[in-house]
Amino acid sequence: MKYDHYDLVVVGTGFASTFFLQKYLAKASSNKKVLVLEKGHFYPQAERLKIKKGLTSDFQKYDSPWENNIINLNKKKEWPFTTAYGGSSNCWWGCTPRFMPNDFKLKSTYGVAEDWPIDYNDLDPYYYEAEELMSVSGPEGTPFPRKGKYPLPPHAFTMVDKIMHKTYGNQYVSQPGARASKGTHGRNGCMSFSTCETCPVDAKFTIENSGTTAYTDTRVELVYGAQVYSLVTENTMISQVLFEQDGKEVSVKGEVVVLGTNPFFNANILLNAGDKNAFTGKGIGEQLGMQVLIYLENMTNAGGSNWVNANGYMLYDGAHRKDFAACLIEANNAPYDIRLERGKHLNVASFRMVFEDLPLLSNYVTTSPNKFMPEVHFQDRSEYTLKGVANMKKKLPGILSCLPVEELRYLEPASHEGHIIGGTRMSADHTTGVVDKHMIHHQYRNLFVLGAGAFTTFGPSNPTLTLSAMSLFAADKSF
Amino acid sequence: MERRKFIKLAGVAAGMCFIPPALYFVAPGVKKYAALSIEKELHYLKLAPGSVASFVEDYFRLIGNDTVSALKWKTTYYLGLSYDKSDRLRDLIKYYLLSSDFFINKTDERKVVNYLGIYSPYKSPVPNPYSFVIYPPESIKEV
Repeated sequence: MKYDHYDLVVVGTGFASTFFLQKYLAKASSNKKVLVLEKGHFYPQAERLKIKKGLTSDFQKYDSPWENNIINLNKKKEWPFTTAYGGSSNCWWGCTPRFMPNDFKLKSTYGVAEDWPIDYNDLDPYYYEAEELMSVSGPEGTPFPRKGKYPLPPHAFTMVDKIMHKTYGNQYVSQPGARASKGTHGRNGCMSFSTCETCPVDAKFTIENSGTTAYTDTRVELVYGAQVYSLVTENTMISQVLFEQDGKEVSVKGEVVVLGTNPFFNANILLNAGDKNAFTGKGIGEQLGMQVLIYLENMTNAGGSNWVNANGYMLYDGAHRKDFAACLIEANNAPYDIRLERGKHLNVASFRMVFEDLPLLSNYVTTSPNKFMPEVHFQDRSEYTLKGVANMKKKLPGILSCLPVEELRYLEPASHEGHIIGGTRMSADHTTGVVDKHMIHHQYRNLFVLGAGAFTTFGPSNPTLTLSAMSLFAADKSF
Repeated sequence: MERRKFIKLAGVAAGMCFIPPALYFVAPGVKKYAALSIEKELHYLKLAPGSVASFVEDYFRLIGNDTVSALKWKTTYYLGLSYDKSDRLRDLIKYYLLSSDFFINKTDERKVVNYLGIYSPYKSPVPNPYSFVIYPPESIKEV
């Protein structure tokens, strides 16, 4: 480190940190000093691709499986994430629908859980900005309020998608996604390989290919291999960030501190620092996803140009949310979901039904004897979610009546949706949550706690675009 | 359990009592059953000579070929299970088709099916059989 005191200390280099830092730098004066602490290392996409192809790479030494980074007590519940420069932008699948307006006001609209202290209109301009930064591909006409075209055109529909769109209009649309529909800003067009974790053609937005100048800015110093584990608190402020690097204990002072790691580590750092907020680490979770294979009598589902070809909102928002969870339909373009009957190999649509869940206090994170390793306790899905699954099974045959359905096959719920949400929930005051509407800790007023951990409730839409917009919003309103 | 299936299962179990365990290591036998199963299920396709055998070699190299898996394959074969009753068989046939040029040729039964190498989303020439690369947007009719 060049200095022992910085104007801003940022922990993590994933979506939340990067979008926050980008906005901060655009507003900060030229003499500001910023330190970024990244636990992992720079592990280029091209090198990750070599490993996927069965080759070797000098960067393999930086492989850090998620299972080695947390103590996960429920082995049936998985929580994949990436520890490296760019965080989980390295392993996300690039789905970027906006939330629906009512996702932010579940309590006042449906009497369920809590409202967020921000609403759709607060985030609207930052949604546009995040969509531009990610060069999102998407349709005109969406179920959520949005004007004009997306930065890139939508992906191609299959015949199934066309029929569903004709039947349901903007309740069934090409999914807005950060998988480029054509070459853009150093990224290639998606080739529909449907293995987005490490995109074979680098079509998916990542922090690495984003063109961001956040980490090359002369005001910024980026340090790799820095494992932050705690903070020094002084009344209502954070005075120091504690981390270990190359086996040595290090501390650094910061005027403002930003936690932008994933929700498990944000909570672990806060708990190690002695945060007494009743909700810190509480109510972690994510959506519940389950696959439905729709066998079609005389129709193939070929032609999609993307992994998630479309989103269906027919079971999403409405009065039913008073009683059970919203469900977002993802029309997948899954190569492994083929049929073996003669002449029907591609006569199958594969829909993933994604249900919202609620932050339950029985699902939580604690510290462990290893100060770097959060212990994850996940026990239950909410009744609200399980009722949503039951309702979906009743309603889906009717929804699909516009298709020549031969049979529906419901698969078991998936072990994860690739999201980690909650643990530092956003609220109006400290009695109901951890951070305020700008993601500043209710008690420690120079500490931002970013990311999906701040979500008050867990709507069914993919979280990345929203948490990125929230980072832009927080930095814009706070500096 | 259906009676017929039970009898067949019992037959395999009884056989286990008398056949030396070493026999279950005889990989060629297992591979033969797997190849026969593919050829039986895909009887309506023109499978290039040797293509199924090559695939089966690669497939078992990938998934392993220990005593347990050998026994499971032998059981599957002796039971006469079809792919709709056996996930193992379904996987085998599915991966054979995905590892071939069957989908690149738009499932055209008139064309010879060639093995292209074991399926990998990172190595196969067109790894998604539904892809717009095979079925461009203009070929998807308007509703």
